[in-house]
Amino acid sequence: MKWVTWEQVGVDRMACAWLITKYLDPQAEFLFVPVGSAPLPEGAEPFDLPGARLSHHRGHCTFYTMLREYDLHDPILQHIARIIDEADTVQEVLLEPAAAGLDLICRGLRQISQNDLMALERGRLIYDALYAQLQAEAASAGKEERE
Amino acid sequence: MESSPERLFVLLVYKIPREPTASRAQVWRKLKKLGALLLHDAVWVLPATPWTREQFQWLTVEIGELGGEAHLWESRLLLNGQEEILVRQFQARVDASYQEILADLEQETPDLLALSRKYQQIRAQDYFHSDVGQEVRRRLMRARGGETV
Repeated sequence: MKWVTWEQVGVDRMACAWLITKYLDPQAEFLFVPVGSAPLPEGAEPFDLPGARLSHHRGHCTFYTMLREYDLHDPILQHIARIIDEADTVQEVLLEPAAAGLDLICRGLRQISQNDLMALERGRLIYDALYAQLQAEAASAGKEERE
Repeated sequence: MESSPERLFVLLVYKIPREPTASRAQVWRKLKKLGALLLHDAVWVLPATPWTREQFQWLTVEIGELGGEAHLWESRLLLNGQEEILVRQFQARVDASYQEILADLEQETPDLLALSRKYQQIRAQDYFHSDVGQEVRRRLMRARGGETV
């Protein structure tokens, strides 16, 4: 299936692409259009574009919306959604110190990548790493509670 | 201070139903948190950067979802000198907040954790890289006994 978004991907869209490939559509093909551009290519699912189904809603990032739309209830994914909410949107309550750093790293990753596709591919490593570490921390917190 | 003759600003104009007041307040607080200036009780302004464009874009969508209407522009000031005045307004506001930190640092046992958090919050709105902000950073580092880099 084809998925389309604007050029110049950042923290939210790198996470979305990671989620799509890992959980929804392993054969996903990503297309990019210039910022603000319309119309979009036919037959491609838009994400992180204003007004799209898979986009920011009620002050939450697109990654958060995707978890809701596709009924993904994994608490680690929900933790990642909270981090991206704080990295990519204006939040009054800040609980995740990793948010600002993650945003900075993803911007830098786009800078050093030749194109958006390459940035998405490299971004996967970051989100695999983030998931693994949050999972390890959740497991050790759970263990302490049981002891 | 940065200066550029072709400085662009993003402008947001919106209307939102009076009720529920929570929605109105939520939008207003986000605009304040972004450090936007309200001109003539009508137009919210921020210097245009990829970040501010995106944040105003999402806020425009959110206002629509809350039953309101919003329009978003990017524009530049045409009259000589007005841009400088506007930039100074942005700076005056962050400088005033930075000065509060400097004043608190004069206390006998300043709460360095709280002050450094406050510094981070102000810095997120410091679009023109205030000299006072640099001074606050140096003073916070010195207060911690760190190097002044």
